[in-house]
Order: sequence, then structure tokens, then C-alpha cells
Amino acid sequence: MPNLATPSAMNQSRSISQNTKPQSSTATLEPPLENATTAIDISEFNAFYGNFQALHNLNLKIPTQQVTAFIGPSGCGKSTLLKWCNRMNDIVPIARATGSLKVGDRNILARNTDVVDLRRQVGMVFQKANPFPKSIFDNVAYGARLHYKISRSELFELVEWSLKKAALWDEVKDRLKSSALGLSGGQQQRLCIARAIATGPEILLMDEPCSALDPASTARIEDLIFELRKQFTIVIVTHNMQQAARCSDRTAFFFEGKIIEEGATEDVFTRPQKQQTEDYVTGKFG
Amino acid sequence: MSNPPVGQGELLTTPISPRGELRPRSSKSSKRWQAVVVTGLVFCALVSVFTTIGIIVMLVVESWGFFADDQIEIWKFLTGTKWTVGQTQGELSYGIWPLLSGTLRITGIAMMIALPMGLVSAIYLSEYASKRIRSLLKPTLEILAGIPTVVLGFFAVKFITPYMLEPIGDFKTFNATSAGIAVGILCIPLVTSLAEDALQAVPNRLREGGYGLGATRLEVTLKVVVPAALSGIISAFLLALARAIGETMVVALAAGSTPTLTLDPRMPSQTMTGFIVETFKSESVVPGTLSYFSIYAVAAVLFLITFGITLIGQIIRMKYREVYD
Amino acid sequence: MKDPINQPREYRNDARRKMFSSSFSVICLLVSSLAIVVLATLLLSIFSTGGGWLNFEMLTASHRENNPEESGIGQAIIGSLVICSICGLAALPIGVGTAIFLEEFKPKNRLLRMFHGLVQLNINNLAGVPSIVYGILGLTAFVYMFGSFSPIRVNDQPDYEIGATYFYQTKTLGGKYVRFPATAEIQPVFEIDQKRIVRTATGERFALNVVPATTDESKYEDKKDETVILGTKAKLTNHQGVQSYETKTLGGTPVFFTAEPKYSQFAKILEPIMVTGPEGDAFELNVLSKSDAIPTDPDVQSRSVFADSPDPNKRSSASIFRENSFFHMHLPFSKSVLSAGLTLALVILPIIIIASQEAIRGVPQTLREAAFGMGATRWQVVRGAVLPSAIPGIMTGAILAMSRAVGEAAPLLAVMGGVLGTTNHLSSLMDKTPVLPVTIFKWAGDENEGFEHLAAAAIIVLLAFLLLMNSVAIFIRYRYEKKLA
Repeated sequence: MPNLATPSAMNQSRSISQNTKPQSSTATLEPPLENATTAIDISEFNAFYGNFQALHNLNLKIPTQQVTAFIGPSGCGKSTLLKWCNRMNDIVPIARATGSLKVGDRNILARNTDVVDLRRQVGMVFQKANPFPKSIFDNVAYGARLHYKISRSELFELVEWSLKKAALWDEVKDRLKSSALGLSGGQQQRLCIARAIATGPEILLMDEPCSALDPASTARIEDLIFELRKQFTIVIVTHNMQQAARCSDRTAFFFEGKIIEEGATEDVFTRPQKQQTEDYVTGKFG
Repeated sequence: MSNPPVGQGELLTTPISPRGELRPRSSKSSKRWQAVVVTGLVFCALVSVFTTIGIIVMLVVESWGFFADDQIEIWKFLTGTKWTVGQTQGELSYGIWPLLSGTLRITGIAMMIALPMGLVSAIYLSEYASKRIRSLLKPTLEILAGIPTVVLGFFAVKFITPYMLEPIGDFKTFNATSAGIAVGILCIPLVTSLAEDALQAVPNRLREGGYGLGATRLEVTLKVVVPAALSGIISAFLLALARAIGETMVVALAAGSTPTLTLDPRMPSQTMTGFIVETFKSESVVPGTLSYFSIYAVAAVLFLITFGITLIGQIIRMKYREVYD
Repeated sequence: MKDPINQPREYRNDARRKMFSSSFSVICLLVSSLAIVVLATLLLSIFSTGGGWLNFEMLTASHRENNPEESGIGQAIIGSLVICSICGLAALPIGVGTAIFLEEFKPKNRLLRMFHGLVQLNINNLAGVPSIVYGILGLTAFVYMFGSFSPIRVNDQPDYEIGATYFYQTKTLGGKYVRFPATAEIQPVFEIDQKRIVRTATGERFALNVVPATTDESKYEDKKDETVILGTKAKLTNHQGVQSYETKTLGGTPVFFTAEPKYSQFAKILEPIMVTGPEGDAFELNVLSKSDAIPTDPDVQSRSVFADSPDPNKRSSASIFRENSFFHMHLPFSKSVLSAGLTLALVILPIIIIASQEAIRGVPQTLREAAFGMGATRWQVVRGAVLPSAIPGIMTGAILAMSRAVGEAAPLLAVMGGVLGTTNHLSSLMDKTPVLPVTIFKWAGDENEGFEHLAAAAIIVLLAFLLLMNSVAIFIRYRYEKKLA
């Protein structure tokens, strides 16, 4: 994973800091760096839906190659923040934001942001699995076909790799051409994960990926998340505190549109500094 | 207080009404009344069943009158290329192909107009349009859908032909093109509304999935939404096709009353429906004559085709519909 | 070995993909606005053609042959209103009833479920049947009634009739129109006009084949014993105790068929009879013989006719007339307003059913659950909870179906023929009447150019009426949505 902040990496890698794409650029990736650096830098960030302010003056740094969890009761704004990280809120006409949200070192709130390319680099997995009504193969290959010129054999290799990474390959390798809608709920969600990573993102956003799944599938996906963080930066929104405790390295606790506390997961859960945090993680409310 | 006898419907042994004992309305009479009502409703439903049975029986029986006549051979009907039924002079030819070709020509032109325009409008309304444009476009299409077919036929023969077609080529006063254009205009609202329903039925999370992977709006529309709505769109096309084939007044006014067997769209071309209307208009329909029976024979062919297409459209819609929970 | 996602790759140009996306948006807009352009052109052209011809006289006058300046759509408007009312009265209860059956009374029994599904499938298919086929169905089922009352007849008297008075009418020498009642009698001679069932002397029955005089002999060579020429006269005779008509086939075989009373076209006046004058005054008609002179007294003139005279000016015979009371009805219905209304009802029935189904489906399930929870039977739930909420949707659907009915020409052409004007105004359900769409159709095809303008003017009226109906529908929907919200 390239160091997103250092200047030298900027010129060589397909980092998000480049705002003009050459006609056809060939990109290489540098091996991942050990030092934790910031993948997403949020400062003085406010988000609105029409006149309603959903997020107030947030400041947060999300480190690379770690799993960061957003926790908090429903309606506190964690999904909203997540969706702003890849500008998914563009679909909602009344959504707007002020402040600075930097992915890499580009403020993606700027008007001339290449949103299409942003989403190539910041992938998303949704709450309810939403595979396309196509074959399993076509689902996983969809993103790669959109963004890259890729040959058929390379595509096959990519699909196999993604499905293996998503721990789904063994179950579907014989029926790649069959419809994705024939899979179970847990399988579909893993398919969506495979689809997201096949596009080659650096950051993966997950919006309550297990809330619609049974405990067995949930456990498998949590293992998956743990594995994937070696290669991707993951931000996960979850209702389930135990899940946050199990999967994440860092945690941010949201309440009523503000970040009350954030830090290493262990610290937030065992030695919370704010009373509200303690109340929430011990189950007093939410 | 003694317990009320079993079956009286009282759950409580003590009356709670201040007036004394409660007397519930017998549920038996309500049930009996319901049985009456349900029987009435079933009869209502049977009306539609009998309508279809009536159509089929009538067409079969009276076409039999056509084919049982010594002059008529069914083979010549199905393969012949001249149609002169209803003309008083000349030899009697009863090949169905000129009428069939007229129908196909006009339907072809109509579909070339209605399907692309209808689908594009549906896509625009469903995936692109702002509220303002929607509020302008939807009522326009609804108005267009409500215009009676005679009006469109009038428009075709008095305007499309003289002002649009004759200046650009050797079009006859009655031709297949102006009728085809008018029928196409007729079918656009149908295609648009059905296709839009199909597109809207695709759940939003599929679109979100597409956007999340970095697709442009066009790519999401063409590669995710349209394929997902495909069965509904095809069913919409088929329904429009059936409508165009069965269209009567437009072709009666604009396409002329001469059956022709040609691919030239500038010639008059009577369709199956046009022939039936022409026969009725001339009021020479005497039951028992060949003219009379020929109406049924042609109508039978027409009905078979439209019923078949509608049925296939239904089957496609039901069988291939993706169920998103 | 690098992971596949870290392999060097070439991009598909982002800018080009985005350009495609935005230009598609523009193309869509252009295509869609074409629809607006088309509608505008249509309306403009019609208004420019017909606008000048729209005036009050036109709205009330009747059609005059070859005279566009004095023709109008008065009768057509009334005709359309009457027929659409009949259509609505017939289609609405049946349509809503079917919709209720389909939506609220879903059976559990497997066999009945199949019936249920079949009815639903059937209705969806009926919606796609061309309207001309409905017209033919109406012709067969209502006009001719499948020939169940008699072999299909044309211009003959109907089998069962009430509410009609037949009388003979003639003009006296003074110019006064007098009438006297007519009775149906068995006429001495009968002209064979169409196929009928006959029997031979031995009692064998078959359908008599009737051919035009010009038909080639070879065509019926082998059926000479069963064929007669159109127009052959049959004589009244007494056959096996029954009053019958007898005639000979081309092969020489005598055949018989039962004689039925009929009104003859004309009646000769040979003796004084009681007649009624135009003001209702009854008196005895003075019948003069051919040798008498024409009376000079005008009063006498107005009461007299000549019985028989070679002078055509003096000959008297009365022609048959029929006067209908408002409840005039006969079976089979033949070409009448009633047949037309019922046929149109069949056309819009699927539309009403589908629209009502949607309205009923729109009622939230919680409403039904609440009613059931209180112990209501299924029908009570429907009547008390579901229907009241569904009424606005049903009414909207009904009005839209009616606006479709107003514009339908094809079925009415089949059932009533291309009627442009009737001499008498609409007096009973059994009369024929012109309607707007058929009138427009016939005028559009007329050679006289003035009728083209008239047709356009009639179209304007029709469109105005449709606009009114749709506005009412939208208004109702708006009002009720406000009420329920």
C-alpha cells in the first residue's frame, strides 16, 4: 500500500492525490508501509440534510491498514459520515457538507473531485447485500471491467483472487456462471465484499455489513475483516459493540452527530474517558 | 347467576352492559348474507370469463361458416396473396397475406418509433429527470395516451400525409407510413409507462451498489438497472406490439382500403382491422353471406395473434420477474 | 507474485465515460421533448382546421347530407352521453365486484385458487384484445343474440317486443295525416329473403339454401333440391293443419315452413274506418270510389280519401309506421343504443377491474387487520373498511375508463353501423343514434371538404369533454387524498 501522504509516492502511485488522469496511465503500487499514516483526515466537518445538521464539527484521523469502527446509537450520524467518505451522499439532493474531508491528501469535498475515480479507490459494502441480478462472475468482475482495460484471463485471475480473499471461492467455484441471487444472505454479502475488493480500492467502507445476517455468517465475515486489514484500510459502522470490540483496532463513539471519544479499541472499551462512552459500552442506553 | 346455555355466544356470565343482558347479533345471519354477496361477486367475475369464452366460441363457429362454404379452401386462405372479398366485381380471392402484410408493415413502422422513444423516455423519467421536467413530461404523456384514436387517424390523414410525407417523396394519399407514424405515437405512452414501472421496481440498493463501485450514471442505468428490469421492459414491448396490431381507427382513416402485398411504405395498405371496419362502414353486412363470414375469419386471425402476444408478454413478466424482498 | 489487484493496469478513460453519461442525458431530454412537440403539433393543427367552424349552431344541429354548413353534432353529443351512461351503469358494478372478488376473497382451496388465477390471467389478456373484436362480439351477442331467437334476420320484425305501436298512416285529400292501428297478419304471399329451416312433405327438415339470381348454376348443381333463388314467392297454404308457406325448390321439391303474422308494408283502404287525426281527434274516414268527384268543401276534403283509382294522385294506401314508447324493448336487441352501451361496457370492463384492483390493493393491511380483530366477517371488512378507503381510486379509474369509452369508435361502428343522423330523435333504448367518434370518422372520410373542418371542430368538442372528465378525476383524487391524509 503506498504511503498516501509522502510526495515521492504521489508521482509514481495511482494515489488519490492526482487530480488529472493521463489518457492511459500505468500505475504500480509500492509494497505496504509499516508505519501507520492517515488514510482519511476529517477536520471541522459538518454535514446537513437540508436544514437538519447531522454532524457537528468533527475531527478525526483514520489510520491506514487498520480497522476503525464507528459505534453509537441509531441516528447519531455514523452512516452519514461513512457515506461522505466516498461521496455516496451525492445521490441525496438535500445533502451537503462543509469543512475538510481528505482522502489521501485531497479534499474530496472540492467541486472538481473526480467522484468516479474516488469510488474506485474507496470501496463500499452496504448494509443489505445488493448483488446485481447477474452471474457471480459478472458481479465480481463488474468494477474491474468499468475502470480497467483488462483481458479475459486476467479478469478470471482477479475474480478468483477476490473470491478467495472473501472466503467464498470454495463454495462457488463450480457455479460462477449461475445467478448471484441464488446465494444465501451470508454468501451474498461475501460476494459484495469480493466485488468491492476486486475493483482494487485502498480503503473499504462497510456500513453495518452483518446486521442482516445470522450469527454464523456474521462470524465468518468478522474473520474476513480481520484478514483483509492486512491489505486494506477498513472503516466499519456497527451497532454491535461486541463486533466492534472483536474486529477493530480503533474505535470512534458517536452521539447525536458528534464524536464523543475515539482511540484504540481496547482503551475505549475498558478505560473510557467520558461518562457517556462508558454508559454506552456497558449497555446503559442505545 | 346461572350460566347461559352453551352456544349462545356469551363469554361472560355476568352482563356488563348497564342495560342488562347483551344480545349479540347472530353471526349466522351475517354469514348467510356474506354467502349471498360472495355468490354475487363470483357471478361478476364470471362475466369476464364468459366474455372470453364468447369471443372464442363466436370466432370459431362463424369462421366455420366461412370455411365450410364450398368456395373457400383453408389452404388458399392461409397462403393466398390476393384479397378481393367484398368487391362486387372480379374474381373472388381470399388470401390473407395482403391484409397480414398491411398489418405488419404498419406495425413495423409504429414499433420503430414507439419502442426506442418510449424506452428512452422511460429511462429519462426514471433515472435522470428532475422534478420539474417530470411534472411537465408525465402529464404530456398522459394526455397523449388519452387522445382517442379517431383523432390520431384524422391527424395522420390530414396532416402527416399532406404536409410531412408528400413533400418528400412519392407518397400516395393513403399510405402505410403516416398510419404507422400515428400508431407509433399512440403506443409511446404505453411503452413509457410500463417500462418506467419496470425500471422503478428495481430497488435502489442495486443502483447504490453500482455507484459505490465507481460507475457513471449512464453505466449504472445501462448495465445495472435496465438488465434488472429487462423482463418488465420486454413485456411492455409486447403489449405495445399487440396494441399496434389491433389498432383500428387510425389505419381505417389513413392507410386506405386497398389491400396490397408489398414492402413499399408509400402505398395504401389495408390491414386486417381496416378490412373489418371497411366492411361495417359499407353496411353491406348481411348475415349468412360470404362477406359476413369473412369478417369472422379475419377477426379470428387477428385475435389469435394479439391474444398470443399478450399471453407471451404475461408469461415473460411472471416467470422472469426478479423478486427483490 | 503480486496480487492481481496490484498488477499494473491501463485505465479506461474516466473523462470519456463521464462525457457519455452527460451526453446521454441530453439525448434523453431531446427525445422526450419530442413527445411534447408532437402533442403540440397535433393540437395546433386540429384547432387551426376546426376552430373557425365551432359555433352554437353546430353544437345543436343534426347532420345534413352533403351540407356541411348546416350540419352539426347535436344528435351525436346526446347519443354519446346516453351510450356512455348505459356503458358505465353496466360496467361499474360488475367491474368493481370482480375486483373485490379477486383481491379480497382469495380462496384457500387449491381448485378455487386455480380458478382465481385463471380469472386474473384472463382479465389481463382481455385488456389487450382489439376493440373491434369486442364490436364483433357485441354484434353477435347483443344485436343478433347468437341467433337464438330466430335464424339471424335482417330488417324483419323482432320476436319479442313491448312498448311499440304499429299503425298505418296516410294523407287525406285535405293534406291531413291520419292513422289507424295495424295488426300483424299472416300474409298470403311471402318473399323468401334468407336461409330458413323448412320441411318436406315427408316431414324431413333442413336449412333451405338461398342464392342470388345471378349465381352460376354449377355452384349448386348437386343441391338443387335444397336451393331456391332469392326472392322466390311462397304461397300460403294449410299443411298438415298448420298455416304454412309453400314453395318449390329448384329441383322441383315442394317445401313448407310455418307462417307467422307480420305487418305488411302497405294497407289498402277500401271501406270507411275509424282513424285518428294529428290532434288526436277520432272520426270515420270518408272513402270515395273512383267514380266520385273530388269534394269541394275543404272540411270534407280533410276527412276523405279515394279508395282506388287509376289516377296515382287519387289512390290511397297507407304505409306502416312504428311509434316507440320510452320503454320500448325487443329481443333480440338488434342495432340499438342498448346493444352499443353493453358492448362498450365489455370494452372497458378490464380497465375498470384492473384500476379497482390497484385501488383496493392500496388500502393498508393494518386497516383490514383492525376490522378482523373486532370480529367482522370478510364482507363486513370489505364494506366497512376497505371499500370506503378505496373509493377515490375506484372513482378515478372509472372516470378514466369512461373517457376511454367516449372516444371509442370501432365497436360502435360494428354494432350500430355508421349512423350519421336519424330522422327521429332518440326516444327509447332500441333506437339507433349517431355518436361523436363515429361521426368524426365518417366526416373525415367524406369527400366534401367542408366536412373536414366540421370533423376538426367535432374533435375539439370531444377533446374538451375528455379534458373535463379528466379534470374531474384529478379533482376527486385530490379532494379525497386530502381527506384521508
